[in-house]
Amino acid sequence: MRRKLMAKPFSWQDKAFFYTVRAAAGSSLVLVALIFAFLLARSLPALQQQGLGFVTGSVWDNSTTPPLFQIGSMLWGSILIAFLGIILAVPMSVAVSYFIVFLAGKRVKAIATTLIDLLAALPSIVIGLWGIAVFAPAGAEWSQLINKYLGWLPFFSSTTNNFLGTPFIAGWIVAVMIVPIISSVTREIFSQMDRELINAALALGGSKASTFLKVILPTASGGIVGGVLLGLGRALGETVAIFFVLNLSFDINWAGVLESRGGSIASMILSKFGEADPKTEIPALLAAGLVLFIVTLLVNSLAAVIVDRAQPWRKI
Amino acid sequence: MTLLNPSPTPQPRPAIEPWKTKNPINTRLVVAASVIPAVIAVALTAIFQLAGPIGLILVFMPLQIIAAGAAGVRIYGRKGFADAMLIIFTIFFSSLVAVLLLSVLWSVISQGFKTISPQFLFQNNKYISATTDLAYGGVGHAIIGTLLVVGLTTLVTVPLGVAIAVYLTETRDRGRNVVRTLLQALSGLPSVVAGLFVYSALIVTGITGYAGWAGSLALMPLMLPTVARVAEEALRLVPMELRTGALALGAPAYRAFFMVTLPAAKTGLVTACLLGVARVIGETAPLLLTINSRNETSIDLTSPMASLPTYVYQYISNSYDTSIQRAWGAALVILMLVAILFATARLISSGKKINLRKRK
Repeated sequence: MRRKLMAKPFSWQDKAFFYTVRAAAGSSLVLVALIFAFLLARSLPALQQQGLGFVTGSVWDNSTTPPLFQIGSMLWGSILIAFLGIILAVPMSVAVSYFIVFLAGKRVKAIATTLIDLLAALPSIVIGLWGIAVFAPAGAEWSQLINKYLGWLPFFSSTTNNFLGTPFIAGWIVAVMIVPIISSVTREIFSQMDRELINAALALGGSKASTFLKVILPTASGGIVGGVLLGLGRALGETVAIFFVLNLSFDINWAGVLESRGGSIASMILSKFGEADPKTEIPALLAAGLVLFIVTLLVNSLAAVIVDRAQPWRKI
Repeated sequence: MTLLNPSPTPQPRPAIEPWKTKNPINTRLVVAASVIPAVIAVALTAIFQLAGPIGLILVFMPLQIIAAGAAGVRIYGRKGFADAMLIIFTIFFSSLVAVLLLSVLWSVISQGFKTISPQFLFQNNKYISATTDLAYGGVGHAIIGTLLVVGLTTLVTVPLGVAIAVYLTETRDRGRNVVRTLLQALSGLPSVVAGLFVYSALIVTGITGYAGWAGSLALMPLMLPTVARVAEEALRLVPMELRTGALALGAPAYRAFFMVTLPAAKTGLVTACLLGVARVIGETAPLLLTINSRNETSIDLTSPMASLPTYVYQYISNSYDTSIQRAWGAALVILMLVAILFATARLISSGKKINLRKRK
């Protein structure tokens, strides 16, 4: 048996210190359990009444008896927007990380890092205001051009001539918000990478491009995937910014990214909450929150495990 | 010159580093490859009156790719082409991010300064509607509300977050990995879920109505992971020798922590606090679900309160020009608060680094 060079705390002050600290750590577990328990307890009536149709159907009608509350289209809308955001954000974040770690000089590196950190700290309401007032008109103009020249592709078609409030614009807004998350993980992986490996690849006659594609990317791929999942979790839960730029519609939109209707669970909760009927509709909204909580918790835990594996130097 | 040199031994010659010399022709080639496509693209776009996006994607990008590829091949041979593409795409996507970010900052700052004035910062929203002239009313009540709500959150969250960080760094418990993973997962908690949690736990059950302290509680799960993570980094930077040294001198674990580790990590912990505040100061959705809004100045945390994010939300929802202008003004106030917190955190942590270097 390996002996441990460690003494058990013996004085009562020491014990109190360690118990306090342990209790604090336990409280984070309790917090997650409490969130789950309260949402479940309050939404149980709605879940029982709606059954499985709650996550598969796409009708939200308070006037029928019994009222129908289904979030299928919202769930799909959230996923669609999150995927669009990821597709747009991954090249940007990898490029920014490569630029910061391998290309930029010392001063440019410091400025770029500060700017990206600042982007991470921009509150979503500010991004939402920018999105509706500045980005949406420009994005609509771009969408119109894409629709004009690539409209024959099924996912770029549009039945109306309205290009505001589309999943495309919401996807860009989400991308702006998750670029700093993905790039902070990617940047750390790139900068902690074994320099010998890169120098060896270059010494063997590799060009910058082949070193990037065949050495840097494969080595960093685990961390990048973790970062992408973290971004996905954030994108699925984004509320206020999407609320302003997306035209919420319970009519399911499978892949028409330029159609002016889409869904997002978080934004739907916000939009319905104000005039919801406390007896019937509020439990359904809490149930929607519960679904969102479970999905994001799963995605984020998976991401946390992957990111942890990819950064062995962070372990003590 | 040589006469002035008192040293009898010859000065070492500057080292020759042939791999650092640059061929001036190559430098000129690179400059040409980056300037000419832009000039041609701007000229063509202006002559044929093309739409901006078309000029950018269909004229500028192909020209830029051809020019950079040619320069790469000319300098490095055939493998230079792929290198040039790598550089082009890196710079293209990086500048895309820069353009988006600067666009956000510029629009908030330029539009916000049109609204902001001393009266906008100090007055409240009583008797103000979406169409009232900007010379009346302001965000004074919202600033006070935000400071109170976030202040209460900070009072609760910072000790808890630091204690969790202490658990992660100072103990050798087996549960640490679970807690760390859970915190990481909690950092992606959708803000609306935090709001719904407090709503279902306190407001549906009738423990309280819409109230400031419920809002503080809703912000807590959002702030906790940031504080705990940054505090953990700060504590980890304290050298292990300091701890073991204190223990070897006979200090019990708690005194070693409070008298050695904690002072050594002080600035890092302040940074953790500041970044945590910056994380939640602009959160909107939880506050909409828990504190509602209010038009008068109020310091009563047990009743509905005003806050900056909900003020912005309230005024974006109207489409009048004055109303949007008010939203920009309040957004600028939020942005300035975040920037101040950020700059303070930077100053503190950079000052720390300089001290360490001097001591060496």
